[in-house]
Amino acid sequence: MSGHAAVTFARVPIAVEAPQLSQSAEANLLWRVRGKMLATTVRQSLETARLRVTLVILLSLLFWYGLFGLFSGGFEFLESTIGDKVTHAQTVQAIYNVFFASLMMMLMFSSAIILYGGLYCSSEAEFLLTTPVRPERIVLHKFQEAIVFSSWGFLLLGSPMLVAHGFQTGAPWYYFALLLPFMAAFIYIPGGIGAVLCMVFVHRLARIRRHFFAGFILLAVVAVVLLCWSLLEKTEANLLTPIWFQEILGRLQFSEHRMLPSWWLSSGLLEAARTDSAGASWAESLLFLSLLISNGLLLRMLVVELGARIYRVSYSELRTDRARRRPSKRFWIDQLVMRCSWLLSPQLRLLIVKDLRLFRRDPVQWSQFIIFFGLLALYFANIRRFSYDVNYTAWVNMISFLNLAVVGLILSTFTTRFIFPMLSLEGRRFWILSMLPVERDSILWGKFVFAAAGSAIPCCLLILLSDAMLSISPLVMAIHQLVCALLCIGLSGIAVGLGAKMPDLREESPSKIAAGFGGTLSLVISAMYIILIVLLTALPTHFYLSALQSDGDPYWVHIWLLAGTASACAVGLFATLVPMAIGLRAFRALEF
Amino acid sequence: MIQFEHVTRRYGTKIAVSDLSLEIPSGELFAFLGPNGAGKTTTIKMIVGLLRPSSGTIRLCGHDIAENNSAANRLLGYVPDVPYLYDKLSGVEFLQFIGEMYGLHHRDLKARIGQQIDDFRLHDFVEDLTESYSHGMKQRLAFAAAMLHDPKVLVIDEPMVGLDPRSVRLVKDLLRVKAAAGQTIFMSTHLLSIAEEIADRVGIVAHGQLKFLGTLDELREALSTHETSLEHLYLSFTAGDEDNLPRDRRPSSPRDETYIEGRQP
Repeated sequence: MSGHAAVTFARVPIAVEAPQLSQSAEANLLWRVRGKMLATTVRQSLETARLRVTLVILLSLLFWYGLFGLFSGGFEFLESTIGDKVTHAQTVQAIYNVFFASLMMMLMFSSAIILYGGLYCSSEAEFLLTTPVRPERIVLHKFQEAIVFSSWGFLLLGSPMLVAHGFQTGAPWYYFALLLPFMAAFIYIPGGIGAVLCMVFVHRLARIRRHFFAGFILLAVVAVVLLCWSLLEKTEANLLTPIWFQEILGRLQFSEHRMLPSWWLSSGLLEAARTDSAGASWAESLLFLSLLISNGLLLRMLVVELGARIYRVSYSELRTDRARRRPSKRFWIDQLVMRCSWLLSPQLRLLIVKDLRLFRRDPVQWSQFIIFFGLLALYFANIRRFSYDVNYTAWVNMISFLNLAVVGLILSTFTTRFIFPMLSLEGRRFWILSMLPVERDSILWGKFVFAAAGSAIPCCLLILLSDAMLSISPLVMAIHQLVCALLCIGLSGIAVGLGAKMPDLREESPSKIAAGFGGTLSLVISAMYIILIVLLTALPTHFYLSALQSDGDPYWVHIWLLAGTASACAVGLFATLVPMAIGLRAFRALEF
Repeated sequence: MIQFEHVTRRYGTKIAVSDLSLEIPSGELFAFLGPNGAGKTTTIKMIVGLLRPSSGTIRLCGHDIAENNSAANRLLGYVPDVPYLYDKLSGVEFLQFIGEMYGLHHRDLKARIGQQIDDFRLHDFVEDLTESYSHGMKQRLAFAAAMLHDPKVLVIDEPMVGLDPRSVRLVKDLLRVKAAAGQTIFMSTHLLSIAEEIADRVGIVAHGQLKFLGTLDELREALSTHETSLEHLYLSFTAGDEDNLPRDRRPSSPRDETYIEGRQP
């Protein structure tokens, strides 16, 4: 409206609107709606997929029990290895501190990322912002969701360890009763810090967000490198001796800082587990619980206050801070993929390149991929700085297979989080694919090839790095590469196949799809598959290497090695083809 | 009523809405027209409080939206082009949720829900989960929800998308009735025939600038033309945005860069 006089309107009398709901009425209303939706989802699941629900619950229990057994064995090993009671207690405390400090960081980042999606990218938040609901209520509503979605993994991993420790030490009943309150109170703190960071980040730094983000990532990487460097510095002492333990414990002292909520959690739980001075330890434990609860509540208040002050403004700022970016039309990696996949049909190659582009343009996906695999690469590159004696064959073999299992487990979280929901996310835009001259099977195979090839390249390179640093023999190296390829192919088959069998075509959020029944089932099956494949190859390799070291080379070791590798291949083939066949059949019959 | 005072909204360096000043009084049905990317949706998002103006003020029944958004939203009903519904709630449960959110009391709420079900003919599916609704059903439920608390201002983005002819007629009649009863209606649409049929005034926006504001008669008068079709007049004002049309299909009149204000009703 250029070139005309300034316009000012007469003030109109302010209209009287309906009274605003009280804070508690607003909260009740949103909780009621959430409760109704949850009840409907549960009812629908029980009516239409009882078998699936039962299977998921049973497999989750099995997974939990497996972890419980693993942790019990670990605690027993520690007790038998470390004779000195004080060193043992310090070691357990150090394990708790490091475990919870690591989980605290992960919870902080995951809740910040999930809350970002919930507050700034979800349709529900956009809808609620156009209603009279207070912005701080919307923030709290989404914060609670983020807490639930980010902490289920923490509960699944943390609870078997804590229960195992309780049984192993013969902890009193109140230790077990306090586990859940402790964990719930603790989760609120990193979740709250993540929420505050998320909102402040979007609000204050909207204009320089990318630069700040890059700087933040760089600082974080430098900090982690320095930390790993100091931790992995070669020790003078022999492996697993009391002096070695003391040296390692000294390096982990950073996790014992008194201001760390993870230290409050581990100290509170260890106090509760004590059997020597029941009354005092009970009171001490409650003190730590109160500390966690009060800090959690303080952070909740801060989240609410920030929500009231900056959420609406930051939402607007984020949506308008820059003009639309135009991605480059051609990218070298697309051309490379097109050339390297010349054996596949043109349609399949186009589908793979399309998925690659979506992955590349989604910072949530590639940033998590780079962070986790980058940290693993850092660890593998520094592996010799540990005091391992690389001539101690059994130890090296165990470490190398553990590395393989860790790569597999991290990959399984990625396939569950990003590959499993891929087909569900196609639901809304399936009309595009259905208009193309492409068979439905090709769509699914395209996703499988994308996932398998995309994961095999970095994973095999990581394992190669690990093996090179551990000076592994060429034969074992070859076995590791084979197992790694089997893991990548099998995990991709499980995620793509189950994703097609159990799609959630209405859900927009990949994290919610992954956290559903199908995603949980995929994660549990993936974990079982990894354990099975690694065990099938690790045990024969161990005995093969032991036999070589003792100058014996009995024929049965060769047969066992061959049989183990062949069984792993068979299991890999089964884990790939069966879920894919199930997925293909379901996908062919799927109506959009 | 809605008042825009020198409202500008930028996306980085791009200006989506430029110095918009406009007043829509109570009881008026205002149609906001313009090509894709002209700034219509940005304007609507500013009215409903999703975006804040870079400069200028928007008042809704006297409330500055940037300052007192919650109070303004209680006077507002909003129907987006793609409505959001909780898919695990039934239509009735969704209406109850909306009614309670606007502070309607139980007995009154029940009566109003019944009225909306009648008005928008929701009987056949209102007890089903909204996940099973077609787009048209969702749109009708969104209309019912937006009108449930009898808002003073109704903002609608592309109101007729996905509606069947009977529902289109129903919505058109209802909007006229609501405007006659004193409700202010701000409607963004691409369907010129709808604007032509039911709007009291039209605003034509292009490149973020208000190119015309007035009645259809005033539009014809301003262009000194005997053309009766709003389509032709609209194309005259937004000619620059259709440069990608074939040459023989472009509007004949030259692009008018000046703002033309019609008579205020």
